[in-house]
Amino acid sequence: MHIKYKLILPLVFLLSGIMLYPFIFSLWLSLQDYRLTRINDVQFVGFENFGFIATDQSFLNAMGNTISFVASAVIIELIFGLSLALLIQKLLIFRGFVRSILLAPMFITPIAVGLMFRFLLNSEIGIIPFYLLRFGVSLDWFGPELALFSIVLIDVWQWTPFMLLMFLAGLEALPKTPFEAARVDGAGRWLTFSSITLPMLRPVIVVALIIRALDAFKVFEYVFAITRGGPGNSTETIMYYIYQTGFRFFRMGEAAAASILLIIFILVFVILIVYLSRPKVIK
Amino acid sequence: MKKLKLSTAIAAIAWATISTSQVAHAGEINIIMEEVPDYDIVAKLTDQFTEQNPGITVNFDAMPFDAMRDKILTSSLAPSATYDVIIIDNPWTDEFARAGFLEPLDSLISSQDGYAYDDFVPALADISKVDGSIYGVPYYNYALGLIVRQDIFDSKGLAIPKTIEDYMSVVKSLTTNGMYGAAMQPQKGYKIMEEWKNWLYANGGELFDDAGNVIINNQAAIDALNQYIETHSQAAPPNSANWGFDEALRSVSSGKAATMLSYNWMLPALNAKDGMSGDLAGNFTLHEVPGGKSVLGLWSWGITANSENKDDAWTFISWISSPEVAKQRAIMGGAPVRNSVMNSPEVWEKGYGKAYYTALADILDGSAPLSSGNNAEELIEIVGTELSAAVTGQKSVKEALDAAANGVERAIK
Amino acid sequence: MIVSFENRLSRFLGTTAIFIAIILVLFPFLWIFLESIKPPSLGGRPDIWRFEPSWENWHEIVFNSNVPLNILNSFFIALITVVISLICGAPAAYAFSRFRGFQGARYSILAAEMMPPAILILPLFLLLYKLELIDSRVGVITAHLTFVVPVVAWFLIGFFDEVPKDLEDQAMIDGYTRFQAFYKVILPAVRPGLAAAGIFGFVLSWNDLFYSLLLTGAESRTLPVAIAGFWTFRGIELGKMAVAILIAVIPVLILSYSIQKHLIRGIGGSGVKY
Repeated sequence: MHIKYKLILPLVFLLSGIMLYPFIFSLWLSLQDYRLTRINDVQFVGFENFGFIATDQSFLNAMGNTISFVASAVIIELIFGLSLALLIQKLLIFRGFVRSILLAPMFITPIAVGLMFRFLLNSEIGIIPFYLLRFGVSLDWFGPELALFSIVLIDVWQWTPFMLLMFLAGLEALPKTPFEAARVDGAGRWLTFSSITLPMLRPVIVVALIIRALDAFKVFEYVFAITRGGPGNSTETIMYYIYQTGFRFFRMGEAAAASILLIIFILVFVILIVYLSRPKVIK
Repeated sequence: MKKLKLSTAIAAIAWATISTSQVAHAGEINIIMEEVPDYDIVAKLTDQFTEQNPGITVNFDAMPFDAMRDKILTSSLAPSATYDVIIIDNPWTDEFARAGFLEPLDSLISSQDGYAYDDFVPALADISKVDGSIYGVPYYNYALGLIVRQDIFDSKGLAIPKTIEDYMSVVKSLTTNGMYGAAMQPQKGYKIMEEWKNWLYANGGELFDDAGNVIINNQAAIDALNQYIETHSQAAPPNSANWGFDEALRSVSSGKAATMLSYNWMLPALNAKDGMSGDLAGNFTLHEVPGGKSVLGLWSWGITANSENKDDAWTFISWISSPEVAKQRAIMGGAPVRNSVMNSPEVWEKGYGKAYYTALADILDGSAPLSSGNNAEELIEIVGTELSAAVTGQKSVKEALDAAANGVERAIK
Repeated sequence: MIVSFENRLSRFLGTTAIFIAIILVLFPFLWIFLESIKPPSLGGRPDIWRFEPSWENWHEIVFNSNVPLNILNSFFIALITVVISLICGAPAAYAFSRFRGFQGARYSILAAEMMPPAILILPLFLLLYKLELIDSRVGVITAHLTFVVPVVAWFLIGFFDEVPKDLEDQAMIDGYTRFQAFYKVILPAVRPGLAAAGIFGFVLSWNDLFYSLLLTGAESRTLPVAIAGFWTFRGIELGKMAVAILIAVIPVLILSYSIQKHLIRGIGGSGVKY
């Protein structure tokens, strides 16, 4: 056997044990009526679970919530992250200091972030509503209108640093010559940004978008810590739906079907992004 | 150096494989508990048990509510139980009994001398009976009562409301100048279900009729939900659509709200000197919920069917729930479940005073469990989600209750 | 050089924006620290800023709670996860970096990392239950490997890419086999990368809630699960929760600070070439 195969053998072995096998098990599970309270009475039901899940209002709603969450969170993070990266790059002093402070949130355990904001924004004991009220602003951060948006804001607080990190690296790696040429030609700030910086950053933006979006699909902790999916089911995300179906209602078959539908959706999403963002070939 | 690395690695692997799902050895019982004040009392009392029964070691595993359900499940699915004794929340009783997780206790109870099973409040004891067998004995109740600021009611000359209509008008009249009539808990799921069901009872409604049909979208339910929504919008603090227990309690204890429906045993905590209510301590009183039929919650002691130490498990349960220890537990602040305890002058004197125990006895009399039947946990979550959607205006009352009824039909299968 | 008014204005606005961002980032930390040293009776009172600092919450957590055990669990679980990940991930990352025919494999590593935990938790749960490993640390480590291994491998590819090929060619001329060259020459050359990948993997494992919530028991409970557990029917134990959060957060911030420069190369490094 060639050495290159020997080198990847441990990884392949490990991943097939802890990922491939569970994945195949999940496929099998999704075709069974598998309840944890009836573990000796598991029945093959074909695609019945998929039929149920695909038409279940709660599932569709959770999927919709997750998509709006991912889209808004990732776009806001992209804009903030890019702006901050550009600003920090211009900074003459304290650059390293500012960077290390601004990157801090992404290393904190999300459950702590969720709980911190649950109490910061809580309408009874939270410090933010308390002072907003002094200025006459009365907002229900976890009420039906704002709850999902609040969760988005929390995600933005925690994960804008990731975007910032990617763009700082991307900006540093850019060659200097085009910028000097632009300055010589007297190009304005905006023109330089839109016609040089942005196109050259495109690969980094795509990678950052994909990594962040796929990660955002996994959002669970904030919902678990704060709203439990409420009010109504306005903040129920797909991960929370699967957690609830599998581990609170003990319906493992349906939970597996839901997670497979999620995987298919994510695959389509990634292929779409990669396809849309491919370099335009000049004919 | 190499040897050191190797032995470290071996030690690390050994450490990692130590698992707590180890079955209790003979003479040892593992008990899963929820981290609540009543658990602290049980843990303290258990020192006495260990003294009297030196042959039995008791290990508690206390955890938050959220972690309990799947822990009990995995223990029950294993060939031998991790937990010999479990505490069972009332919605889980049927589900766990039907799944074969629980040991019937009938013969153990009847052969236990001086146990006085009939002394348990019947409404509580009945919750643990499934298909004619007893699967648990009461641990503590969390029946809901109406907690009010007596000083406010007195100063305005208001009587304690007996009907839901009275309650609605009283809390509306109390909502003035930064004071709110009712701190409500419309949080999705368990909380709103627990609270709203009192309103449902007051309107004569129920989840199922006698034939077992789902009637959660009948007129009584519609009226109850309309009343609940009206009261929430007119007498509850603003921005409280996602409130649960913590927020409502804080609102009452800090003097911003005049009443709340809550667990009867919150009364002593609210009235405790130097406690959460500060200067307001002593002003709170407990009453039956308006309408007179309370939602009843219960935790009961059970033995897992796959336990290898059932005798020791029963020795512990029969001791901790015996009339004498039950009395001690109540005196230390535990929520009583036995008639003899609630009627004991000694408990009145050393505990929270006669008024509390008689109010509690009234509440328990004629109360009904939060939910019974199969898969009640799922049922509560489904109904509680729809209720919350209606309260926050995402669905109309009719839409929400119809959706709840459909969900319930499916859940209980 | 003459700085125009427009330039000065934009610099001023930029600095202000950065300043606001810093405050937004720091404020929750400051607040959580204040909560942790508030006397418990004042916990959760937003209107109180002046108070006699009290270490009661810290004392309770350190001496009268399970948090120290949770810290040990989190620490060793993360450590073992990372060691296994490096042992399996480093040779593979090297192979991906050096040999043809692995272009697809590179991205399948990323795909593995992006696999939603929801799809893995159900089978892992049932599997661990059958092996009677639920509530054990092995179970959690297994679960954590599913997301730490791919990240560590992905991370290292970029570092191996930067090691000049001459290095191992020279080593092999000197008589090393390919594997020896990798083990004795290349690995030491990417030591900073190994450290950065290891620390990053450690942080990921340390921070996980989802798997730990479902797979740990009393003895194996990790810190995030313990933090989630402060939300109990005893009322809000805000002060104690604040202490636990700080304990969870501070070491991770220190660790991550030490690898910031390498992170950029690690996360983006092999991806930016995409």
